[in-house]
Amino acid sequence: MIGALPLSAIPPEDEALRPEIRAFLRDEVGHIPAERRARSWMGFDAAFSRKLAERGWLGLTFPKEYGGAGRGALARYVLVEELLAAGAPVSAHWIADRQSGPLIQRFGTEAQRRFFLPRICRAEAFFCIGMSEPNTGSDLASVTTRAAREEGGWRLNGEKVWTTNAQHSHYMIALVRTSGTPADRQKGLSQVVVDLHAPGVRISPIRDLAGDAHFSAVVFDDVLLPPDALIGEEGSGWMQVNAELAFERSGPERVLSSAVLLDEWSRWLREAGATEAAEALLGRLLAHLAVLRAMSIGVTGRLMAGESPVVEAALVKDLGTEFEQMIPAVVADILARPGLVASGPLMRSLAYTAAMAPSFSLRGGTREILRGMIARGMGLR
Amino acid sequence: MDSLLLRSAEELFSRHASSDAVRAIRAGGSPGALWRELQASGFLDALVPETAGGTGLGLAEALPVLMAAGRFAVPLPVGETMLARAVLAEAGQERPEGTILLGEPFDGGARVPASSAAEWVLLSRNAAPLLRRAEEAQRDDRMASPFGDLLRWPGDAGGDGGPEELHAAGAWAELAAMAGAMERILESTVRHAQERVQFGRPVAAFQAVQQQISVMTEDVFAARMAAQLASVPDGPGIAGLNPLRIAAAKLRVGEAAMRVSAIAHAVHGAMGITEEMDLHLLTGRLQAGRMRFGGEAHWGARLGRHFLRAGDAMDPLAFVRAHLGPMEPETTA
Ligand SMILES: Cc1cc2nc3c(=O)[nH]c(=O)nc-3n(C[C@H](O)[C@H](O)[C@H](O)COP(=O)(O)OP(=O)(O)OC[C@H]3O[C@@H](n4cnc5c(N)ncnc54)[C@H](O)[C@@H]3O)c2cc1C
Repeated sequence: MIGALPLSAIPPEDEALRPEIRAFLRDEVGHIPAERRARSWMGFDAAFSRKLAERGWLGLTFPKEYGGAGRGALARYVLVEELLAAGAPVSAHWIADRQSGPLIQRFGTEAQRRFFLPRICRAEAFFCIGMSEPNTGSDLASVTTRAAREEGGWRLNGEKVWTTNAQHSHYMIALVRTSGTPADRQKGLSQVVVDLHAPGVRISPIRDLAGDAHFSAVVFDDVLLPPDALIGEEGSGWMQVNAELAFERSGPERVLSSAVLLDEWSRWLREAGATEAAEALLGRLLAHLAVLRAMSIGVTGRLMAGESPVVEAALVKDLGTEFEQMIPAVVADILARPGLVASGPLMRSLAYTAAMAPSFSLRGGTREILRGMIARGMGLR
Repeated sequence: MDSLLLRSAEELFSRHASSDAVRAIRAGGSPGALWRELQASGFLDALVPETAGGTGLGLAEALPVLMAAGRFAVPLPVGETMLARAVLAEAGQERPEGTILLGEPFDGGARVPASSAAEWVLLSRNAAPLLRRAEEAQRDDRMASPFGDLLRWPGDAGGDGGPEELHAAGAWAELAAMAGAMERILESTVRHAQERVQFGRPVAAFQAVQQQISVMTEDVFAARMAAQLASVPDGPGIAGLNPLRIAAAKLRVGEAAMRVSAIAHAVHGAMGITEEMDLHLLTGRLQAGRMRFGGEAHWGARLGRHFLRAGDAMDPLAFVRAHLGPMEPETTA
């Protein structure tokens, strides 16, 4: 069975960061239209990321010697939940700050740390993640993109797809096969860092159903990688990828993707007045938010204590994305009354969030895959 | 959670609240033996300050005892008696021995659980606690249902509606017991799925069943977290109970209860519908708990209204942080 989550609080020294962040966001984000803020962690703005970097808010958890602030995961929690609640356009640095940087810090060589981490902290190195391929989705061990070792480095061939921000990023960390065949499954997989400006890399943005082109297909055609492109051990790619995914599954971003819509709706209720049904619905959403937030902080607390609550993280993500998807569904229901016209920004935020909501339980591992992990944690498989 | 207290509560209930004992009390048998053990354990005065002869524990420390009572489907008002004794102590009134229910005021009378074994009902009159003997009340048969009986005391001797405080306290006791009952239901469901064989395999081997039990696990975790959040003593109520926290938690636990019951029964199949199996003791406890001291719509509206009318016009995250955030027991005691 899975261990209960503790009620853990954010310590005062981390809470102390909050007022400054909120003041900054009021000035920098407050004027952005709601429907753009509703893009949450999909909103791209490199200049905004540089402003955060100037404040020392990128790589908050990286050690100081690499340009970070040496803070704990709960300090970052405070920063991230405020960014997301405000609908700040964080996507440019998001993956580097959340996933690629910590991965390099943990598994990279000293030289890789010295090269990449300070650049991430200065918003000079944006990253994307190359896991999925045309024939590899949930079954991640089936990747066929291959890096073949040769004199002077590696030769990379294959294709990645759905790569968020590939067209805007400097680097990709790709999961590739470095030995064996797809029949070897998890064995023989490695992670390599690819300079996306290298010859032989072809990036084609893919338009999504909301009209944005936030992800891409990326083809590697005899791309030559230097010997130090390998991150971590050759053949340890599978283990490393899973360590990476545990960190990305329980953060505030798995609870707050529809936060801007919830905020817009509640503002509108304050102005226009609320029926008892609307009050009850709003209370329901607040109750879910409170419980999910406490669960997510509980998982972060356990990560900080050096545990690896992988199953608990999957559990919080599944419940969190269900909540994120519930918001547009129930808000649409209550606003769909003949004779009622809500504000334009609210309706446009609703339209965007409702359209993209199905993706919340796909990205980073689907609902069914997460539930499979929970079932394993419960001893059912 | 205070594991020492939890262990002794679990030990007490496993010895004295077996399925047979619980069934006997539900059938009208005397709860005397179990109640005497509870009295001797000191649990019942857990929330009474030490200066008044109690143990002076906090809500978070008492929570495991309430949850344990829920796990064993104890058909006695353990949490309610704890709360009532704290109220009486605070008002400087005598604390009688025996089971005390918190009455839900209704039209001069009080609604209490159906055929409950309680000796006393705590009401309030002119904002002061008012203790009434259950046996002196008349049961209104027209209003009786498995969800509750309506009691009236002769000569207008009942309460006058009373403060929200008692209502919120009752909701806390219910939601804690429900969270405990759900933990037990989950264990029972996992065990059944591993033991029941169909198509040559344990039904736990089927992905559809696994996914259902995963959903259930999520709700059990959420319910437990909701109960922990409701036990942060930063409010004006009894022992620091905070009606906003209780609003959020009763709602979330009630929602979990529906999903958990539905999945548990689905996985148990026809066996779960029998009187013989204990499952209905627990799922019945969830049904009853959901109906007492306000359900999801009631508490949702209470919470939503408070949020909308608060003068500070907070955004949802700020509100949740300010009123419904996690605080560790040490920092709040
Ligand atoms: C907005 C967005 C951004 C993304 N960004 C990136 C990115 O930056 N980098 C990247 O590498 N990928 C990215 N992805 C891809 C994402 O990781 C995949 O969508 C995800 O892993 C699922 O793969 P799939 O879409 O191929 O679905 P499939 O794996 O084909 O699944 C289809 C359906 O079958 C179900 N299914 C599959 N296997 C099983 C099983 N064993 N048991 C039960 N059900 C099963 C799935 O749950 C799903 O319902 C992104 C996706 C989205 C939507």
